[in-house]
Amino acid sequence: APASHQDPANRRISVQVSNQALKTALHLIGQQAGVKFVYSPRLIDPQQRVTLRAHEQPLPDVLQQLLAPLHLDFEILQKQVVISKATATGAVPPPTLEARNAHPVPVETTITGRVTQANGEGLPGVTVVVKGTTNGTTSDADGNFTLSLPDASGTLVVSAIGFITQEVSLQGRTQVSVVLQTDVKSLDDVVVIGYTTQRKADLTGAVSQVNQADINGLPVTGPAQILQGKAAGVAITQATGAPGENIAVRIRGVGTINDNDPLYIIDGVPTKTGINQISPNDIESINILKDASSAAIYGARASNGVVIVTTKRGKAGKPRLTASAYAGVQTASNLINMANTSQYVAAYNVAAQNDGREQIPADVAATLPDVNWLKEVLKPARQYNGQLDVSGGTENSQYIVSGSYLKQDGLIENSSFDRYNLRTAVNTTLSRFVKIGTNANLSYSKTRQVGTSGDGFGDGNPGASIVRFALFRTPGTPVRNDQGQFVDLPRTPDGALATAFLGDGINPVALADAADRNFNRYNLLGNAYLEITPVESLRIRSDYGVTFLITDYKQFFKTFGVDRSFNSPAQLAQSNTKEFNYNWTNTAVYELPVGKSTFNFLLGTEAIKNNVTAISASRRGYVDQSPTFQYLDNGTGVQQNGGGEAHSALFSGFARLSYDYDSRYLASFNFRRDGSSQFIPGRRAESFYSGSVGWNLAQERFLRDVSALSLLKLRASVGQLGNSSIGNYPYASLVGGNFYYPFGGVSTQGLSVVSKGNPNLRWETSTQSDVGLDIGLLQGALQLTLDYFVKNTSNVLLFLPQPSSAGNGGNPAVNAGKIRNQGFELELSYRNTIGNDWSYNLSGNLATLKNEVRDLGGTPPSVGGRIDNNYFATLTDVGRPIGSFYLLQADGIFQTAEEVFTHAYQGPGIQPGDVKFKDISGPNGVPDGVIDGNDRTFVGSPIPKLTYGLTGNLRYKSLDLSAFFQGVQGNKLYNQVNTDIEGFYRAFNLTERAATNYWTGPGSTNEFPRLSWVGASNNKQPSTRFLEDGSYLRLKNIQLGYTFGDKLLSPLKVASVRLYVSAQNLLTFTKYTGLDPEQGTNSNSLGDGVRATGIDFGTYPSARTFTVGINAGF
Amino acid sequence: CDSFLDQPVLGQYEAGQFFTSDTNAILAVNAAYVPLSFRDAGSNTIWVLGDVASDDAVKGSNPGDQADFENIDIFNITPINAAVEAQWRRDYDGIFKCNVVLDGLPESNTNISATVRQQARGQALFLRAYYYFELTNLYGNIPLRVKVETPEELQSPAVPQAQIYAQIEADCQAAADALPATWTGTDVGRATKGAALALLTKAYLFQKKWAPAAQTAQAVGALGYKLQPVFADNFRAATDNNQEIIFSVQHTTGLSPNQGSGLNQWFAPRPQNGYGFFLPTQSLVDNFERTSDGVVDPRLDYTLGRAGQSFFGVAFDPGWTSTGYVSKKHLQPLTEIPATIKGDGNLNYQALRYADVLLMQAEALNESGNGAGALMALNQVRKRARESYLYDTSLPNAGTVPDGLLPDITTTDQSQLRELIRRERRSELALEFHRYFDIIRYGEAYARQALADRPNFNYARNQFYPIPQSERDTNRNLGL
Repeated sequence: APASHQDPANRRISVQVSNQALKTALHLIGQQAGVKFVYSPRLIDPQQRVTLRAHEQPLPDVLQQLLAPLHLDFEILQKQVVISKATATGAVPPPTLEARNAHPVPVETTITGRVTQANGEGLPGVTVVVKGTTNGTTSDADGNFTLSLPDASGTLVVSAIGFITQEVSLQGRTQVSVVLQTDVKSLDDVVVIGYTTQRKADLTGAVSQVNQADINGLPVTGPAQILQGKAAGVAITQATGAPGENIAVRIRGVGTINDNDPLYIIDGVPTKTGINQISPNDIESINILKDASSAAIYGARASNGVVIVTTKRGKAGKPRLTASAYAGVQTASNLINMANTSQYVAAYNVAAQNDGREQIPADVAATLPDVNWLKEVLKPARQYNGQLDVSGGTENSQYIVSGSYLKQDGLIENSSFDRYNLRTAVNTTLSRFVKIGTNANLSYSKTRQVGTSGDGFGDGNPGASIVRFALFRTPGTPVRNDQGQFVDLPRTPDGALATAFLGDGINPVALADAADRNFNRYNLLGNAYLEITPVESLRIRSDYGVTFLITDYKQFFKTFGVDRSFNSPAQLAQSNTKEFNYNWTNTAVYELPVGKSTFNFLLGTEAIKNNVTAISASRRGYVDQSPTFQYLDNGTGVQQNGGGEAHSALFSGFARLSYDYDSRYLASFNFRRDGSSQFIPGRRAESFYSGSVGWNLAQERFLRDVSALSLLKLRASVGQLGNSSIGNYPYASLVGGNFYYPFGGVSTQGLSVVSKGNPNLRWETSTQSDVGLDIGLLQGALQLTLDYFVKNTSNVLLFLPQPSSAGNGGNPAVNAGKIRNQGFELELSYRNTIGNDWSYNLSGNLATLKNEVRDLGGTPPSVGGRIDNNYFATLTDVGRPIGSFYLLQADGIFQTAEEVFTHAYQGPGIQPGDVKFKDISGPNGVPDGVIDGNDRTFVGSPIPKLTYGLTGNLRYKSLDLSAFFQGVQGNKLYNQVNTDIEGFYRAFNLTERAATNYWTGPGSTNEFPRLSWVGASNNKQPSTRFLEDGSYLRLKNIQLGYTFGDKLLSPLKVASVRLYVSAQNLLTFTKYTGLDPEQGTNSNSLGDGVRATGIDFGTYPSARTFTVGINAGF
Repeated sequence: CDSFLDQPVLGQYEAGQFFTSDTNAILAVNAAYVPLSFRDAGSNTIWVLGDVASDDAVKGSNPGDQADFENIDIFNITPINAAVEAQWRRDYDGIFKCNVVLDGLPESNTNISATVRQQARGQALFLRAYYYFELTNLYGNIPLRVKVETPEELQSPAVPQAQIYAQIEADCQAAADALPATWTGTDVGRATKGAALALLTKAYLFQKKWAPAAQTAQAVGALGYKLQPVFADNFRAATDNNQEIIFSVQHTTGLSPNQGSGLNQWFAPRPQNGYGFFLPTQSLVDNFERTSDGVVDPRLDYTLGRAGQSFFGVAFDPGWTSTGYVSKKHLQPLTEIPATIKGDGNLNYQALRYADVLLMQAEALNESGNGAGALMALNQVRKRARESYLYDTSLPNAGTVPDGLLPDITTTDQSQLRELIRRERRSELALEFHRYFDIIRYGEAYARQALADRPNFNYARNQFYPIPQSERDTNRNLGL
């Protein structure tokens, strides 16, 4: 019967090894037969030399031929092959260990036991050895073992590949049961690299891996968040704390001023945006290709690193059902202390007196309410998630079906994120030669947005941050009036407008209430593959992948306001964007063993096509503003529509040669040639090369006997990567735009040059070098990976900042820049058990980063991050990190008139109590006694010098506790909103500290200036007064779980149940005075990208989330 | 695989393939008008730089709101001032769009019919001159860009103002030759021969080239422009493009995208859903003449709202304003533009009108020693103003010009007449964003007196606004 082919026991193998390590032979057999070998390296020497020649022989015959001469037995259990010593009691030690064990052991006591996995399933093939001896055995198919010992006083060392070794002290017991925990960092882990997989031990590049176990129970809503703090050199920053907010993933720093997002490969499908549509629960592992040699196989799209996401697959066996769910509540924390009404009135009156304005009369002040606006807009919100998986299959076909639902409400009304996922993946072996499979992720998500960052400047963003308005709004203005309406403009008790006293900002609660901005995303991401194995060592695979994303945007601009009409007339805007991308990837992998050498060839082609079409429409004038009439048909006023289309294509060929000599010397060479539609013919194609070498020192004769050292590998790599995220037609100057002018009262269109092209454009290319060291100590309990890299990006596409007198024709791109990132990365893990009941592990990572612009090709430095009055916070210049803050340096407060007089001229009307700025330079490059734009200097960078993460897990019997810290160090944040709430220049509320600690006379303070609106134009000038240290350490997650054991659950037919409670963002240690030190590019500065990070306009803060959850397997 | 990689530009023209039809030539020149518009009144800051800075108006609104406009008012002006920055970008964007047209329509481009090419070039030349005129009067010595420049060419120094004026003169002359005297139908609002000549008059006048200024003003008059009998018709939507109007910035309400005037909202009092900016000063009010019986120049109440007078049909509330006055020339009654669409007004901005040309002519003639000629032009303006009483029935006792109101000027003493023309100009063109430029060109003595209440004003420093920081940061050869 055809099925018999698929039973490993009947599978036929062709293998040829000559005087190679046993381990190598097993590896080759394992690959062909699709089985995994389980054995103890302490009982069986994996390095002993073997010779074997087999052609189309059944697996058992081959194993018999290989293992019998070594006095080894084996047992085939589905896909596992357990190898043990031929005499089960271990009375005859293998020859290589003989010398170390001279004394035979007398037999007196029989110890029996069972080894199980965490889910209660018996674990076969586990090595059980008495500590300090070679007396041992292996467990049987059900995980049971029997051992004869002189007495029951020793300690058993229980180990299996892929599991964390445990020591069990017998203390007189003759019956023990042991639960082994999966070791996610095991050396035999397979790492997914470009188009293929590789054993981690054979890896020569720099790859970080994050597994399902690392993310268990974290209430993260998207895959990118999983990576935060989990992998060295991978910096994750969510733009704000709003649900569904953009997340910046930066691998080894920012290499360009343009797109710095990595390339995502989800089950072989390349995507830039699809990542947000995947449920974190569906992910099996994430591999991050950091260095050139790993990523270069992706050529022109790889310079920002490659993130390979592998989703879960079904496994042969009975259907398994797993369910998980959590529910929680989010709250706002670390709120800024704003002035209360009496503090505000006092501050107002001091400023009014200083400036000669009318003060707030005491009788008016006495009637004012006292509102904490931050508390009014940031309300507790719920979050929950549920997931159900069914998986299983036969040897020939495996399946998984999963569904999940996530709901995250925002702290601010009308912001939320909901996502529904449905996934199915099927693999089938059609015949001995042919395998096919499919994988489909379907998702629907809905993001409701409010203004989260920025001050609303610029188009296409959700508008000014609600939090910003909440900070501005004076506490003496009530939220609602007597009729229950939202108060618009403040009034005195006699009904007169009190805007001069209490401001005329927008009521933030009303603004949030009116927000109705929705993004519905319908996504299909999937692939189908056909894999042919015409001969054993050749695997040919054809993959067709698609991403289909429909983004449906709908925003209703409701008219609101009691005294004023905001959004008048009411308007409905809708758009629909369809993105259809496909890739067709064909690869062939051929393995060629020659003596102790193994050559591995990969050849492939890839065609990628991206297509986007969009339509939009809007209409004004809604007599009935209720939701049931928010349709284009119901508008009565002006209507508008738009639409467009764009395509791009990439065609590539690539090859890789990997070489392995005796598992000691490793090398890999990559080549890729990419042709892109984004360039003009003749400049379309470019080639990328990379190579890497590795040396497994621990396998060398002189180190093999150092038992403490399980791994010592040196790696080095160098290579080139490209960046193609440069827009579709950067070579062409384009005429377009929708300019309208009403000639004769009729709307008349105009067109002009809207972008300037450069026909000579090429890819950005980065050259990256990496040296790394992998160390495994204490039988792998302690593992250490060190990397040092230098990433030089050249031909950086700079959008040449044009003088503002150039007109709005856009900035042409040129290949002019050079940017260097260098850094040191460390990943460390340690695990240990104490007695039977306690085990713990710690893993940490840290990465340093030095970013420097090396060259701008003679182009002027480019400004970024508009913060005030056309003033930009950052400058990207040679010799500095990208987007460095470039500001005046505040130098305390003028204490005396004499000091004002003798100091450099800062403008008219400067008085004691005003902020003093340093006279750094002048038009001729020397201090000129005048404070102006020439006195700005580089005062820090928003790029952290150090990023780190630390995870600790502690287990006591069935209880587990984990804590995960994450932090950044050495970056600056520009607290722009403080220019408004501490700059005090109009009737905005101010922070309590600025309202109470202001300058009152010589010597009173050197920190906060006098209160004066007139003086504010000097005092609130963009300067280091508002620049703060952005370092933080955050207890990202702390979690306590309890796993119910077999006995309790078996009547319920439940295999395992874990209940847990967790807290996200429980503690934050920072000196930053804003709401949240974790923030990215605000919505004002999206166009500036990495040139404008770390500017806080009053950000939507990250929530502190408390959840309870359950994971259950059936 | 090359065909797989051939992905043409969709939905936009490649620049080299755009100027291939009459339609496209017209589309390109249309875009060059857009920077004139006040649909976004906060970034078309000529009202701040031209009038708030002067003795005619203060910023208004709440203290602290648009603090940078306030900084203009009090002459605490830095290169990062928002108003200084905005107008620079805007005018140069207009110049860029003109240069796109001029580069794309050389005589050699025979894809375009001769008429369309000539008219499109003419409009672009006029607009370029218009933008440069604003720029050089705001900023003095500035970079001169007369084509779409490469990144290297854009790194260029500020050139002397005389060179900018030479370009303005050349462009105006060429535009005057190329443009028709009038446009009709859906072309109303485009630049005309008269517009080019009026701007040329102004360029001559500002350079004190008195004879050519007088001559060119004469040429404008010869085109048939006439003063509108009712002064206020120049500031009413119904009579927007009348016989007095030489060039105006067009605004129309209710279009999509928005092409109405935002000034209507910025300048209106808060209770009418306005922002309450741009408040006229007492000094301006005092400039308007009164008869011995106390009858005031009727232009005063056309220009601003004040206590005791109807404000577009509703009672004026002194609580609206800190100066006692609210500007009116850019506002419309609520009956025309209700509060809900306040920012989408229907009123054009009159950039060049015949009264301005007459006053320029009067000034040029007086300065060239032809006092008699000057009086003829000046008195036309005064006559129209006083004769509002003949044509505007809404005035009290309409039908008869009150005794002694705005009598004809008779003196030909050059110095006396100079002062009278200046006063006339201030009243006639009040709050039309011209005053600060006049103050500055009248010279230091005049300016110091006019701005005596602004202690920070310094003629040498404030004669021109600073070139904005963004230009200094991006143009290394600016020479500043």
